[in-house]
Amino acid sequence: MTVSREEAAQALSDINRASDKVIKRAGYRHGAPFFILWGLVWMFANGASWFMPENRGLFWGAGVGLGMVISTVMGVMQSRKLKYEPGTMDMRVGRSIGFTSLIMFAFIFCVVWIARPESNIQVNAIISILFPFIYMAAGIWAGWRLFAIGLVTAVAIMGGYIWLPEYFEPWMAVFGGGSLIAGGLWLRTA
Amino acid sequence: MEGPDEIIHQSMRLKITATLNALSTGEQMEFNKLKAMLSATDGNMATHLAALEKAGYIAVQKDFVGKKPRTRVALTRTGRKAFEKHVAYLKDLLNGGG
Repeated sequence: MTVSREEAAQALSDINRASDKVIKRAGYRHGAPFFILWGLVWMFANGASWFMPENRGLFWGAGVGLGMVISTVMGVMQSRKLKYEPGTMDMRVGRSIGFTSLIMFAFIFCVVWIARPESNIQVNAIISILFPFIYMAAGIWAGWRLFAIGLVTAVAIMGGYIWLPEYFEPWMAVFGGGSLIAGGLWLRTA
Repeated sequence: MEGPDEIIHQSMRLKITATLNALSTGEQMEFNKLKAMLSATDGNMATHLAALEKAGYIAVQKDFVGKKPRTRVALTRTGRKAFEKHVAYLKDLLNGGG
């Protein structure tokens, strides 16, 4: 059997494409539970804040705090399934998630500080809209499904803010949280 | 330089082994998922999987989830080595070897 240089180049290109698909699929499957989790956090915090606005800070604090703890646990559990030295990777994943969260909080703090939003709805919208754009930017590199989830979520947030500002929180609970949950379930099918 | 692996080099079998090789060691992929990822038909996929299994390159596991039959495949150690050798051969060929 002889193989020409053209056939070899084609074969290597096919191999790269096949590997790339598997890597994207793995990324989707790792990301899926985080989308579902944060969709539930959005759903809970927005929904509860709508019914009891006086406890808005408590609901968001509890939701985000719990979300971060569960995210860290899920990240560590996922890293254990990969074949690394036990223990060392747990610390690294835990630290990475912790530092990423800190950077996100610092960024959000700066944006809110600079923008000086005048209402709770504006604070909510400014913070919420950051995430889908991160998904879209990441999706350009990591896979189109991530981009699509970001796009749908961004449209949902902007739609609610522009057309239904008085119902923004329930809108965000259903369509903001809902699009993240649906997105997470969709990623699981990859 | 060693020659190409005739079993792996066939286009669909190359894609199957490349896909399974990108999974972590021992990780399995469902038949239907593999078929969808490679845009193959049932018959085509079954034929090529049988050829790879006969060569000892993949392990096929069949079981039931509830009442639904499920087929999962994984690259064996032999299959992974054969794939790596074949890729090395292709790269050598492109780099002017052989």
